[in-house]
Amino acid sequence: MPHRTAAARPSVSGVLPGADERRLPRTLHPLAWWVWALALATAVSRTNNPLLLLLVLAVLGYVIGMRRTEAPWARGFKYYLYLALTVVAIRVLFRAVFATGITPHDHFLFSLPHIPTPDWYAGIQLGGPVSLEAVLSAAVDGLRLACMLCCIGAANTLANPKRALRVLPGALYELGVAVTVSISVAPQLVQSVQRVHRARRLRAGRSKGLRALRGIVVPVLEDALERSLRLAAAMDSRGYGRAGSATKASRRLTGALMLLGMCGLCAGAYGLLDASTPTFLGLPALGAGALLCVAGLRLGGRRVTRTAYRPDPWWFEEWAVAGCGVLSAVLLFTNVGFDAAELNPSLYPLSWPTLPLVPAVAILLAGAAGFLAPPPLPTTAPQAAPRVPARRTEKATAK
Amino acid sequence: MIRRLLSAAGALALAMGALAATTGQAAAAPRPIGQCTTRSGAVLAVDFSDWGGPILRSCGTTPTTGYELLNQGGWRTTGTGHDGPAFICRIGYSGYKGGKQFPTPAQDDCVLTPPATAYWSYWHADAGSNTWQYSQLGAMLYKPKPGSVDLWIFGGTNIEGTKGRPTVSPDQLRARNTRPTGGKARTPQETKTAKPLPPGVDTGPAPERPVTEKPAPKPKKPKAEPKPRHSTSPSPSATKKPSPAASSGAGEAKAAPGPSAKVVNAAPAADAAHDTGSYVPAALTGALVLLVGGAGAYAARRRRRTE
Repeated sequence: MPHRTAAARPSVSGVLPGADERRLPRTLHPLAWWVWALALATAVSRTNNPLLLLLVLAVLGYVIGMRRTEAPWARGFKYYLYLALTVVAIRVLFRAVFATGITPHDHFLFSLPHIPTPDWYAGIQLGGPVSLEAVLSAAVDGLRLACMLCCIGAANTLANPKRALRVLPGALYELGVAVTVSISVAPQLVQSVQRVHRARRLRAGRSKGLRALRGIVVPVLEDALERSLRLAAAMDSRGYGRAGSATKASRRLTGALMLLGMCGLCAGAYGLLDASTPTFLGLPALGAGALLCVAGLRLGGRRVTRTAYRPDPWWFEEWAVAGCGVLSAVLLFTNVGFDAAELNPSLYPLSWPTLPLVPAVAILLAGAAGFLAPPPLPTTAPQAAPRVPARRTEKATAK
Repeated sequence: MIRRLLSAAGALALAMGALAATTGQAAAAPRPIGQCTTRSGAVLAVDFSDWGGPILRSCGTTPTTGYELLNQGGWRTTGTGHDGPAFICRIGYSGYKGGKQFPTPAQDDCVLTPPATAYWSYWHADAGSNTWQYSQLGAMLYKPKPGSVDLWIFGGTNIEGTKGRPTVSPDQLRARNTRPTGGKARTPQETKTAKPLPPGVDTGPAPERPVTEKPAPKPKKPKAEPKPRHSTSPSPSATKKPSPAASSGAGEAKAAPGPSAKVVNAAPAADAAHDTGSYVPAALTGALVLLVGGAGAYAARRRRRTE
């Protein structure tokens, strides 16, 4: 995996006009993108206001439009949008079928055939009248989950999953390899589907219908198998999976520390989320778990000595991108300068949502990542041969 | 010809059915408290003592549901975003603090089902009974019987409703008079009454999380003061007054909520004014979304062209 970095390539500044092109293109540290996206997802979890949610989607679109590369994993955002639409549709459908009641104040939309349920099952109702309020609140509810999905999708689109592997502590290296391979499966599959689809079109094959689907699935599976074999061989040759020089006792101690730490983290998270648990299960358990985990990672990491080849730098741009994401989440959680009710406007009775100023500015602030991050590396030199999509993809894969 | 006759008959039957459906169900209506007797009407009581308020008491005619009783004569509820209007998340009365609904958005955002430690629990006492029954049905499915009392208290219960019981007794709240008092059962002109619900509407789910030992409000001895003296003050105009007084008396009640909360009659009132807001923020957001998204699309296109 020869990685191109800013230091390695000749500067292309001056080749293209415009402020953006005068900056040195380089890939941003993947962790910065992940911190940014997760912070934005956290901010989204706070609100149910459709205006703010739409603003988040617009910001995601802007940042992706500005800083997306042409790498295979960077082409998948469209599919996250489809997934988001599906989430909203399913939520609305379920709300309509498993009716949650219509009140005399509601705006009646349509009525589904009602399926009576026995008395002992009276809590669940199938079918019945559906109100505009119910449909809208289901859509907004779905939109929130859809926005979170899109945040994760944006991180997957913007960050190089293979370089994210380097961030993990040494003790988790093998785990990190497995996770990185698994999270890069989806974009690779997408790319594979696109390639097979294009090949079929070039050969004037059918590109629609059930038969075409079979024609696509088989090569895609074959492709996936081949790719994983290639990856396994590459990893093997680079010495992944070595046990190292750990003694049995230290390995056991590491395992025990990690296990206890994880239990503490789980208990702590549960304690924080459920108000009725005893207080020692909350923050104290979380802190103890985190400490144990850090100790276990330190101990386990001592036996792994690795050097990084061209490590990803963490410079001002990384701080800026991660910071503007975190800042927007913090602003939404502090409740300063706006009414908490505006974050979760009620649709009963129907009324227009308001746009609280501070959260809106906070979300727009997260969009600053679009120009704070350095421009991405161009995949082809500006004077490259004619734009053949297939070639570009191949090049991106090789990278 | 026969077909036409059949279809005409079908249409007639449909029309008759619709007529029967509309006339068969008498609309539930709010009444002054004097109109509820030991054997007619249903008394609705809502305990605002968590917010230093009184226990407000209203009366409604009986072929009704718990939901209708709680959404007429100035009463209004809000459901949750997750479960819809059937899960009572907030309750407000237009005569109490200007129709503000409790719990306030700062306390509960009413997006998901509220926790079992802090929600409106629903209790019934049939005519003549002096023990509260935890409602096994939601407000939209339960039909109060004539002469019964419906009580909503805020706090925690366990799933069976054996913990967190009300501290007032049904006898403190129910109607004592055997015949309607206060002259004509007339409701204010501006009062909106809830239309009958469509048949068989959902109740919403029960609270999800079991409770561990939230200390129930201190079981002080229920005051046996024969307080519903108010109920004999008949005219709606007279009963309307206590609500501002109650809100001013809220300060002293705050120190010791629970059984010491006053019972105040809430006369049928007009709905609290509702503002649908302005579409300007939405339009502004639309423009902003177009601007930001357009900028992104433009940048992407320009980059693609230059590459």
